[in-house]
Amino acid sequence: MPFREINSKMVEATVVPGQKMYSQRGAMLAYRGEVSFTPNIQGGQGGLMSMIGRRVAGEATPLMTVEGSGTVMFGHGGHHIQVINLAGDTLYVEADRLLAFDGTLQQGTMFMGSQGGVMGMVRGQVSGQGLFTTTLQGHGAVAVMAHGGVIELPIVPGRDVHVDPQAYVAHHGDVRNKLSTALGWRDMVGRGSGEAFQLELSGSGAVYVQASEEKL
Amino acid sequence: MFRLQGSRTLAVDLAGDAVKAKNGSMVAYDGRMTFKKMTGGGDGLRGMVTRRLTGEQMSVMEVTGQGTCYFADRASEISLVSLHGDKLHVEASNLLCTDSGLRTGTTFTGLRGGASGNGLFTTTVEGTGQVAIMSDGSAVALRVSAQYPLFVDPGAYIAHQGNLQQHFQSGVNFRTLIGEGSGESFQIRFEGEGVVYVQPSERNTIGGDV
Repeated sequence: MPFREINSKMVEATVVPGQKMYSQRGAMLAYRGEVSFTPNIQGGQGGLMSMIGRRVAGEATPLMTVEGSGTVMFGHGGHHIQVINLAGDTLYVEADRLLAFDGTLQQGTMFMGSQGGVMGMVRGQVSGQGLFTTTLQGHGAVAVMAHGGVIELPIVPGRDVHVDPQAYVAHHGDVRNKLSTALGWRDMVGRGSGEAFQLELSGSGAVYVQASEEKL
Repeated sequence: MFRLQGSRTLAVDLAGDAVKAKNGSMVAYDGRMTFKKMTGGGDGLRGMVTRRLTGEQMSVMEVTGQGTCYFADRASEISLVSLHGDKLHVEASNLLCTDSGLRTGTTFTGLRGGASGNGLFTTTVEGTGQVAIMSDGSAVALRVSAQYPLFVDPGAYIAHQGNLQQHFQSGVNFRTLIGEGSGESFQIRFEGEGVVYVQPSERNTIGGDV
């Protein structure tokens, strides 16, 4: 079920019987029709083991299940919302940036170290993502929050995209990412340009960048 | 070449040339880029000393390379200004990015600076090229001509260009003194020919409280 953007900070979703969707708890603004909101202790799909996994990984955001028939409007904290449509590929996003997503998507947790080993873990620390990140896979739509507007930058082979770790929001597709450092003696003496660490993304897909260096 | 990607992100296409940008404002780039901090705002030793003394310090980095570089800062709205040999006066905190061919400097603003919460000095950008300025909310450009002077709240002023004289004026009367002021006791009056950029938000100023 697709999300319809009402304005840059609100989205509307249509809920039909038999189709679940998940949203961040408390993100509902208004609804029409017969819709029920159930707090989801497990913080998403996948049963007990996934729940424990998320708890351990610190990727457990309070989610709720939205069911019924009608339309629901979502928004949170005045943050800008970007709707991302997935067609079978995987979206990597921080759990606290997730506003709402289709129940048809497979939710998972990924260890940063599994992409790039130790450097992957360092990357998670630098970008404030921690050691784990959330993945969503399948066909459906995701509403992601960001501070300020979001721009989508396509990644094509042979043309790498570098992103400020603090401005990174999410990425999807077949993308390798690694942390590149441009640390020089200037940074050591406190004369850095403020751009010492960058995420280097290569492969094919897209990365979403927010117009701000602030975390949510 | 400067272009806006949405209203809050600036995209700059570089082909081996350089731009000056606020330190740490890069959010993404493709191609190859190098970032170098320019000590003292990139005006040389004399400029550095002036900036230190005047409190109009900027941390600026020079970006060189090939590809597209994206800049943004705290989700501020960005406006593009083209300069053709004229001079832009802008607060250092509102300056995001300039063509490297433009010269930057500092000037004394007088009493206005004190009331607008920006200090007594302001930054000038001079030459031919493009400048990206930031504002809290999208800025409006207001034209000033000889017969139509413009009055601006000091807290909402961000930049001006052209041949303008500015005067600081106050509407302090007995009401203000007994605490019944309208909050609009101070204004800047612009006269002459030029453009003034105003943001739809007010900084905290001494003048705004009375």
